[in-house]
Amino acid sequence: MTTVVDVFIAFCVLSGSLLVLVSALAMFRAKDALSRINVFSPATGLGMPLVVLGCYAYTLQQEGFSVYRLLIAIIAFFSLIIVSSIASNTLSRSTLLSGSPVHRYTRPNRLAYAQGEDPREDGAAGGRGFGDAQGETQGDAQDDDDPTAS
Amino acid sequence: MTVVFWFAILIFAVAIAVGLVRVASAKDLGSRAIIGDLVYFAAIGILTLIAMLTNVSIMLDVIFLSSLLGILATIALSRILTRGHR
Repeated sequence: MTTVVDVFIAFCVLSGSLLVLVSALAMFRAKDALSRINVFSPATGLGMPLVVLGCYAYTLQQEGFSVYRLLIAIIAFFSLIIVSSIASNTLSRSTLLSGSPVHRYTRPNRLAYAQGEDPREDGAAGGRGFGDAQGETQGDAQDDDDPTAS
Repeated sequence: MTVVFWFAILIFAVAIAVGLVRVASAKDLGSRAIIGDLVYFAAIGILTLIAMLTNVSIMLDVIFLSSLLGILATIALSRILTRGHR
């Protein structure tokens, strides 16, 4: 039984830390700030709650059951999900408001195009070029770090 | 179990290093803000794992408080990005 709990703790902790590492690596793949905020959500939405779960299982194994620790673990589990979602929402909103460029391959890009005006969604048949609906927030992000990716 | 915890600490440390490299190479401020958030959460993970390694009884309290207060840095950075404009 204790082996099963050990394997469970190891699985939770290792997969949580691997998710954080994968999110850190995905920061290189994403082209603009909005995509980076988007790819960060697996770290806080799944990785850190897994670490909390492993930590609670370890506490349960070492020190026994306690209502206080169960309550704290549940609050930490859900607050990680909810709080990080709100923080990501606020940060992406302010990133867009501050005029950060959105890469042209970020799809669906309804923040930069009005509905039905996205030239990639309706096949660019309406003669709308890329330069039409470009506001302040639309433009090619600088491919400073990844010039080979298309 | 100790090996597993040290390995997870190593993975978190690699994540922090990768994030710091990305901060140095990123141009726009939103990316830097979100990578700062990533470094914060990875540091929480390292702290929790160290607490589990040394059998400190406050390991859940650490992650509880930091998960509740983790929004503050991000909100402050987003206010800085928009120059105080909501």
